Amino acid sequence: MFNISKIIVQDLWKNKAVIAYGILMLTFGWGIFAIEYQSEKAILSLLRVILFVQPLITLLFAGMYYYNSQEFLLLLAAQPIKRKTLFLGVFAGLSTVFTLIFLLSIGVPVLVFSPTVEGLALLLAGGLLIFVFTAIALLVSVHVNDKARGMGFALLVWSFFAFIYDGLLLLFMYQFAEYPIERPVLGLTFLNPIDIARIFVISKTEASALLGLSGAVFQNFFGALQGAIAAIFMLLVWASLPFALAYRKFVRKDL
Amino acid sequence: MIETFQLSKCYGKQEVLSDLNLRCEAGQSIALIGPNGAGKTTLSKIILGQVIPTSGRVEVDGADVSKGPDYRRELGYMPQISRFPAQMKTHQLFRLMRRLRPDVAASKYDTELYETLEIDQMNDKALGALSGGMQQRVSAALAFYFNPRILILDEPTAGLDPLANETLKAKIRKSSEEQRLIITTSHILNDLEEICNHVIYLLEGKVHFAGSLEQLRERTNETKLNKMVVSLIKSNQARVQYQ
Repeated sequence: MFNISKIIVQDLWKNKAVIAYGILMLTFGWGIFAIEYQSEKAILSLLRVILFVQPLITLLFAGMYYYNSQEFLLLLAAQPIKRKTLFLGVFAGLSTVFTLIFLLSIGVPVLVFSPTVEGLALLLAGGLLIFVFTAIALLVSVHVNDKARGMGFALLVWSFFAFIYDGLLLLFMYQFAEYPIERPVLGLTFLNPIDIARIFVISKTEASALLGLSGAVFQNFFGALQGAIAAIFMLLVWASLPFALAYRKFVRKDL
Repeated sequence: MIETFQLSKCYGKQEVLSDLNLRCEAGQSIALIGPNGAGKTTLSKIILGQVIPTSGRVEVDGADVSKGPDYRRELGYMPQISRFPAQMKTHQLFRLMRRLRPDVAASKYDTELYETLEIDQMNDKALGALSGGMQQRVSAALAFYFNPRILILDEPTAGLDPLANETLKAKIRKSSEEQRLIITTSHILNDLEEICNHVIYLLEGKVHFAGSLEQLRERTNETKLNKMVVSLIKSNQARVQYQ
């Protein structure tokens, strides 16, 4: 497995898209702290990067990489290597590269300029989201054989979690405003990893106005510490469930 | 060496292979032929474990293919189209493969094709920058590199220049004399005629003919493989049990 992830990491490291993405993230991470002296504001700006830009790139790039290396996977699968090892190698390679870029571009500046609770929360949420979206990307790619369709579907997944879901949730809350909807809203919040990460980070900052109704419900229900634990737990579930499903499909799939 | 038992594969409703019973032994160089969509590539991919059969099973040296990847130590594979990680250099690919195969000692490497196909000269080139034919050469050298006892070659000569083509065919003949099992899929019957001593003709997922080249020659009264195949297609007589 390490051999395979190592080779994937080496391959990705020279990839132009990865380099471009790395430079973009470095500019965001270091640039925001250069122009924003209030560290909490900087954290909130970076939050947008890890909630929207990073999941999008992770999804698209991981999916694209899987499709583009299918022939190579075929070659590796002809060697005495277990499918399991191959899949773990691909997942580990991709998530290592994304995590490294994330740590260098956002991790280091946050630790240098704002080593606070909200800073650490941001790093934890961002790191977990990488695993969530790498797993989702692989889940989509192993199920959809056609590249164009797979990438389209990945885009749809991203826009669903990034905007559409929130819109639907808001609509739901307006429609049923007169009923006690706290619990259903809480349950529905768990169905969106981006929402979980957002609530988790914002609840650590002073900017609770940004929490929104679902965040307030969440905060109210769990309290600070339990809320954090529940959020981390749910993000882990969000990473492991697609991972397990993709794995199950990959080992039984016609390559 | 390779045996299939009631092997079937369906893609959706379409049955690509149905109830295939075959036995292939060491020393045979088998031409796996048949029209497009007859199931040739599917069969080789099932042997390689890349495609999972709908029912039935394949045994390689008595080991069930679905039970684990270890049987692939004895398998060399050359795919129809090779695509490697574009940024990787040729020497890195070979280094990676050597690292993935600690079971083969360095003294056991079969570098004959590696040398005759002049892979060394492309060592520092990125695999993505190689032409299709050059990638095929890398792929051929790789298939033989770990000295496998079974070789599965999918359209090996397509895209190779005449010199490389002859080199590869000579290597295949030699491997067959060394009592290896070679299964070659191709539509270039002239090439196959030079390297094969057995023929499996698949038609619509069934074995239409399986036997040695001599048997086929006797059955069809023809001398050239392409004539034999034509006569085979015309004759409705079904199969000879494969030995």
